[in-house]
Amino acid sequence: MKIYNTKFLFATLCASFLIVGCSNDDDNITGTPPPAGVDFSGTFSQVDHMGRPGINTVLSGSADIKNMHNTTIPSNMQATFQAAFEAQLEGLHDAYAVALGFTAADVDYQPNILGDILNGPQPTSEDNPNIVSAAVLTTVLSNDVLEVAPGFPTTYFNGGSGAPNFDGAVGLTGRKLQDDVIDISLILLFGGETGARFNGEGGLPQLVTDGVSLTAGNISTSFPYIGAPE
Amino acid sequence: MKKIKIFAVLGIILAAPVFIAADHIDAPGVAGSSADIADFYAFEPTEGSDNTVFIVDVQSNVLPDLTYGAFDEDVLIEINIDLDGDLVEDRVIQAIPRDGIMYFFGPFSPSSTGLSSQIDTNNALGSVEISSATAITTTTASGVSLFAGPRQDAFYFDFIRFNEVIAPSPSDNSGFNVPGTDTFDGANTLSIALEIPNSLLGNPTATNVLGIPVYKTWITTNRKQ
Repeated sequence: MKIYNTKFLFATLCASFLIVGCSNDDDNITGTPPPAGVDFSGTFSQVDHMGRPGINTVLSGSADIKNMHNTTIPSNMQATFQAAFEAQLEGLHDAYAVALGFTAADVDYQPNILGDILNGPQPTSEDNPNIVSAAVLTTVLSNDVLEVAPGFPTTYFNGGSGAPNFDGAVGLTGRKLQDDVIDISLILLFGGETGARFNGEGGLPQLVTDGVSLTAGNISTSFPYIGAPE
Repeated sequence: MKKIKIFAVLGIILAAPVFIAADHIDAPGVAGSSADIADFYAFEPTEGSDNTVFIVDVQSNVLPDLTYGAFDEDVLIEINIDLDGDLVEDRVIQAIPRDGIMYFFGPFSPSSTGLSSQIDTNNALGSVEISSATAITTTTASGVSLFAGPRQDAFYFDFIRFNEVIAPSPSDNSGFNVPGTDTFDGANTLSIALEIPNSLLGNPTATNVLGIPVYKTWITTNRKQ
């Protein structure tokens, strides 16, 4: 029961700012208008969406879901996709169970390092459970938006000193060009409570890194930051 | 029973064609088209800066036969910014090309939200000539820097191996290779970039799960009807 309470607490945390009213002041600024005669008329219909990197690719389990995801507004995404994302996450764990000679029931998603970090200095235990279940993780990820914190250093995710204390862990403040978003995603999906559950050792598969690092050598420290074409 | 259902889902995964992260070629409905989003970045440019940078990549030449090379005048790019955490856009920035120029509009509060958009010509932000290999940038009177043009695809991922990893078998159950091979090494994309003072976006009341105030942002491409 406690797990469910904390789970909903976490979900509430994510949604708690629903109640804050929408600001009406329009700090609109009008810059140089386009020349008269340039035609901007018409109605445009949404064909693609992106928030966090890789969400649709990894967690949408069919072509139909992938297409639907691109034309669903974010406020409807959790209701539409959370269950399918959770099934996909558990399905990938089951596929490895079978490929390794176990039964599907033997291998499930394990709550990840984000839950350890949210637990603070008190170690994760039966009395202080890791709340980031498959349902909670896929709830957060199904709301496919990229969070960026103004006036705060940008870190997609950094587990700090790592298990068990995660000193200095920061993240969810945006995405830089250099960030290894794939490894971070793999760690949160497959890394379990240490971040290294499936690390390629002891006969287990390597599922917490894709083994590549940044190759784009042209990233600049000044605008537009992204490098000249190759 | 539950497991049977999951395997049915997995069966669909294994039968599906190949798709690529981060958003490159993510779904058959848009894959490889001129409106295909490749990537999205949002960051503080330097520590303590009062600006936020948004970079939107569309199209990619990571694989042969993909549409790549020119912004489509029928495709409107939108950056959506939610300030209060209800996942509905409170500010929108629009970008669309016309005759070698990328025009930007906003940020403005949209009169309606959802899947259908019109260009808000009453809220012109500025424009910039679309670059070729050398970056041409503009900074507006309100302090917004603008860019549009081809760039090096900064994303890195062993996507070839990924498509094998999600379909393990008893003879191939080792997961990723270390080191792997960056499929995106050498690929280019079409980027738009904005660096914008936070004061023009508004103060967010939304927070991330760690309690830090955040803009909740997403990008869309929208095709003229």
